[in-house]
Amino acid sequence: MAAAALCWALRAARQVLPSPCPGQVRSYYVDWRMLRDVKRRKLAYEHAEERLRINAIRKNSILPKELQEVADKEIAALPRDSCPVRIRNRCVLTSRPRGVKRRWRLSRIVFRHFADHAQICGVQRAMW
Amino acid sequence: KDKSAACKDSTPEGASKRQEDGAETPKQQLLDIIGNMKVEVSYRKKLQQLKASGSKKQALNKLEGLDSEGSLPQETTEDTQRGKPLNPELVKAASAVASSLPRNKKQTESELLAQLRRHEETTDKQKKGGKINIRNVISEMTVKRQTPAQRSARISGRISLQLDEDGRGIRPGRSSAQSVDFRRSLKVGKRLNIFTKASTEPEHALKTVSSPTIWDLEFAKEVAAVTAQPPRNGFEEMIQWTKEGILWEFPVDNEVGMEDDAEFHEHIFLEKHLEGFPKEGPIRHFMELVICGLSKNPYLSVKQKVEHIEWFQKYFEEKKELLQEI
Repeated sequence: MAAAALCWALRAARQVLPSPCPGQVRSYYVDWRMLRDVKRRKLAYEHAEERLRINAIRKNSILPKELQEVADKEIAALPRDSCPVRIRNRCVLTSRPRGVKRRWRLSRIVFRHFADHAQICGVQRAMW
Repeated sequence: KDKSAACKDSTPEGASKRQEDGAETPKQQLLDIIGNMKVEVSYRKKLQQLKASGSKKQALNKLEGLDSEGSLPQETTEDTQRGKPLNPELVKAASAVASSLPRNKKQTESELLAQLRRHEETTDKQKKGGKINIRNVISEMTVKRQTPAQRSARISGRISLQLDEDGRGIRPGRSSAQSVDFRRSLKVGKRLNIFTKASTEPEHALKTVSSPTIWDLEFAKEVAAVTAQPPRNGFEEMIQWTKEGILWEFPVDNEVGMEDDAEFHEHIFLEKHLEGFPKEGPIRHFMELVICGLSKNPYLSVKQKVEHIEWFQKYFEEKKELLQEI
């Protein structure tokens, strides 16, 4: 019963169940690169505290160096995808890695498209 | 008449009175009828009765007490069957009683008539199925006071005669004493028919708990979908958004979702968590810096800070052998 519920939840995370909402309904991630980015974000969230604490041990001058070396090895042993540096802020709709505005999480092309159709709140063509 | 005769046979104490009552004067008949009709006997009237006659009244009262169970409903139904305005017989009876009592005949007569009228009203209401106003019923009923002699007489009479409600047999002692202690108010008296027997409740409870079927869930979803109409105007839309959590509640509450029950001193003075660490050395120095940083952190809860410190404690304990070498 629990396993079935979990499977259902996972499937729902991947697919948006058809609900009566206007606009596009996207059932999958745009491409595999976006999927990998999602996985990296999840792992980074899970290991964030550990990484913080081990780094606190590594990056100080009070503790003995041997201890810091041991901490180095430990942090290298964590999965590679758990470090936040590997996350790329892609466009949410097109998965474009470059030209993404952080506030809207959209690439410049999509942003322009929606802004011209007046579908972004408070955004207007500049004229001065 | 037969009823009264049977009741009289049942009371051994009323043996001497039986002869008197057996005379069956019309006045006595009326008095018997009134005596069997219960409920409104005020204390003053009781005193008057006691003072006036004595033994005759005692016999009447005993009859009243013993007969109230069986005779009452029959009497009242008969009364109601006779008609809505006060029965001329009753009026005659009331006047007879008033005349028999020593003081203030007119007053007692009027009071008796008023009480009879009220009695008729309540029975009519119950017949029509009107609201059972318990307060009225109880306010009309007053506590009867008895002399201890009367009481003992009653108890002895009961013990020798009556069975328990189960029909198990004579149980002198506790049960009768208890019921007598509560002034015969527990098992004696007209049934008010207010409470119904709760018969099949446990079964229902078991049924509902054991099977929340898929069909029930589907039905519930359907009902929710049907009842959730689209918003008719902007206000309703905003209400819906607020319920879903999309929109904040105004005026804005800065501490929504934050349920930090801890006081400020628990956030700042974290030295008591440092008991597991050695008192000197670089580790202690390091942990004191950690605590200093945590105390300035407004974003973590006390629980999270404690977990942080405990993680370090565990980590350093694991590395103890390494530290011994150094």
